[in-house]
Amino acid sequence: MLKVNIDGQNLEVAEGTTILEAAKKAHIKIPTLCYEEGLSIYGGCRLCVVEVEGENLLQPACATEIRDGMIVRTHSPKVREVRKTLFELIIASHDISCELNCLTCSRNGSCELRKVAEDIGITEIRLSPINKGYGEDKSSYAIMREPNKCITCGRCIRKCEEVQGIGIFTMANRGPATIVTTFGDKGMGNVECTNCGQCIHACPTGALHEVYHYESVWDVLHDESKHVVVQTAPAVRVAISEAFGDEPGTIATGQMVAALRRLGFDKVFDTNFSADLTIMEEGTELIQRIKEGGTLPLFTSCSPGWIKFIEHFYPEFLPHLSSCKSPQQMFGAIAKSYYAEKNNIPREDLVVVSVMPCTAKKFEAKRPEMDGDVDYVLTTRELAGMIKAAGIDMVNLEEEEYDRIMGTSTGAADIFGATGGVMEAALRTAYELITGKELEKLDFYDVRGMTGIKETEVEIDGLTVRAAVAHGLGNVRKLMEMIKAGKEYHFVELMACPGGCIGGGGQPIPTTDEIRQKRIDSIYQIDKNKKLRKSHENPYIKKLYDEYLGEPGSHRAHELLHTHYTARGV
Amino acid sequence: MNYANFLERMHNIQDTYGYIPECEIDKVAREFNIPRSKVYGTIRFYSMFYTEPTGKYIIRVCDSLSCHINESKEIVEVIKDYLGIDNGETTEDRKFTLEIVECLGHCGEGPVMMVNDHIYTHVSKTMAIEILDKCV
Ligand code: SF4
Ligand code: SF4
Ligand code: SF4
Ligand code: FES
Repeated sequence: MLKVNIDGQNLEVAEGTTILEAAKKAHIKIPTLCYEEGLSIYGGCRLCVVEVEGENLLQPACATEIRDGMIVRTHSPKVREVRKTLFELIIASHDISCELNCLTCSRNGSCELRKVAEDIGITEIRLSPINKGYGEDKSSYAIMREPNKCITCGRCIRKCEEVQGIGIFTMANRGPATIVTTFGDKGMGNVECTNCGQCIHACPTGALHEVYHYESVWDVLHDESKHVVVQTAPAVRVAISEAFGDEPGTIATGQMVAALRRLGFDKVFDTNFSADLTIMEEGTELIQRIKEGGTLPLFTSCSPGWIKFIEHFYPEFLPHLSSCKSPQQMFGAIAKSYYAEKNNIPREDLVVVSVMPCTAKKFEAKRPEMDGDVDYVLTTRELAGMIKAAGIDMVNLEEEEYDRIMGTSTGAADIFGATGGVMEAALRTAYELITGKELEKLDFYDVRGMTGIKETEVEIDGLTVRAAVAHGLGNVRKLMEMIKAGKEYHFVELMACPGGCIGGGGQPIPTTDEIRQKRIDSIYQIDKNKKLRKSHENPYIKKLYDEYLGEPGSHRAHELLHTHYTARGV
Repeated sequence: MNYANFLERMHNIQDTYGYIPECEIDKVAREFNIPRSKVYGTIRFYSMFYTEPTGKYIIRVCDSLSCHINESKEIVEVIKDYLGIDNGETTEDRKFTLEIVECLGHCGEGPVMMVNDHIYTHVSKTMAIEILDKCV
């Protein structure tokens, strides 16, 4: 252990501890910008500088390890003076203008620059901002970049490369001309970006955000001739109230449904309904592939971030992908056929809006092979913004229920929002469909939780079904390499985002590991409290098959609920 | 990753083609197992790597402080007029590329210009034209 004195506090820390980490232990907050927990150290912004006795120059706390006997001053007059000047320089390079664009920024409620300004007590800015005049990157269906707001902290670069294992961004040029860009300046929509949106969570400013659909949604809500239905993904209900100041993981399903009705949606439905439907179709596909010697392992297909990833990086594995559309797209297809016909709504007057924790869903909805299933995709953040803009005090509303019949679901659908959930839901159903016996233990603890790659084995009718789960594209790549090297499974669940969709790129900011865990806990809580916890027990799914689809895997089911993929390469 | 090998490889490509084409970036990325954005970023960081074909003669004129005081601006203007291109551009016949750069290491002898690997010091306007004429 090493002895250190920070701001007069004596403490002992382990070898390899940085000044920043030690200060945190002593309950001292050193402001940071380019540092993010879980990413490598860059040491570029210099905001975290501190005084170390015996050293002439100030040292960056995030990049300096404690030495035995070190005496550190984190907020001395010299440090505070330098820190303010550094901050002014950073701000000058950022597009804060007299038009006060902070007010209109996507991060007006969650900007880290604003927080730092508060923390270090900025009272004046002596430098006028430089308009760098960079164009916006609007090449992607999912994510937009505003480089004028970029402070080149590099967090998006490291998040994409180190956590997601992709590496879409790079720095280019030198000195004051340094910019963050993509390969060949092509823009995010023209390179191998998966649209997962994890870079948005890394960004301290409004330089990265989703492509907005909320304006179009307001328009259709105010258009009397349109019948507008909404579906909400499982991960949204355990996160949306964070945007209203609630504790992470607060379950707000009923309040959210009430708020959606007040916003003017004609029907408030649930993506959970089509998640149950997905399990019926995907479970059937799994059983068929096992029985008929089809391509194994079967890969799940619910995460559009993962789909784009495999299309770019492992196109040779595309036959392994389940042909099932994702729950979002299945919902759209059923709404525009079964629901529209049943209620005599002309297809052109029916608008399907979805609320997703996900930015990649915006790209998915635009895929030509499924065009028209879903019209608009709102992120959790966008919906929270609309609810605020309508003056609805969501968290204090009386709870309301989803509309029938596409609003009814089992606990198996709820857990789709967490890593391992699709696997668990599928195993519950596959077991009972194959054996005809009741599954005794519904909880598959092996596939739950934040471990990057999880495995389990289940005995079904004399066959040992081997399953694996990976979340976060860095882990997904590792698992894919294991499979490439010969590791054998029957069924594999892959999700682009760390923690699964509860950690999706469209979720409230901040989304940290601690917050992910709280949202996951709530998801399993919802499942536990449901009477029906197996997808095949959903009475309305049975009704849908009886009235319309026939049986799982039928010709009509294939037409509406299945899709195909594109080998993209890099 | 071995950066020395990586940079040497980039120099080879640059020397072979006169620039680093996209397909070569893809190849190098695969070879060193790094994202192609990283290769691209490296090219954009170093001034001796190019993503577009350059002219046969790369004309570099220094415009850092000491050359600037010695009227390097005038030299730049003369060259621009003569070649009909702007900073960073290449002539249509792919003969000349013009670059205004920071410091060529001869600060006491400004204005300084460089044609490929050759340095010229105390450059006057007439001298600049003569140098270009020789290339044509
Ligand atoms: S959306 Fe995902 S893949 Fe694309 S740049 Fe951001 S982190 Fe990388
Ligand atoms: S886009 Fe955001 S995260 Fe990326 S370098 Fe710029 S400010 Fe940092
Ligand atoms: S894991 Fe969920 S949130 Fe992330 S890309 Fe996939 S579907 Fe979207
Ligand atoms: S936070 Fe330490 S240098 Fe940026």
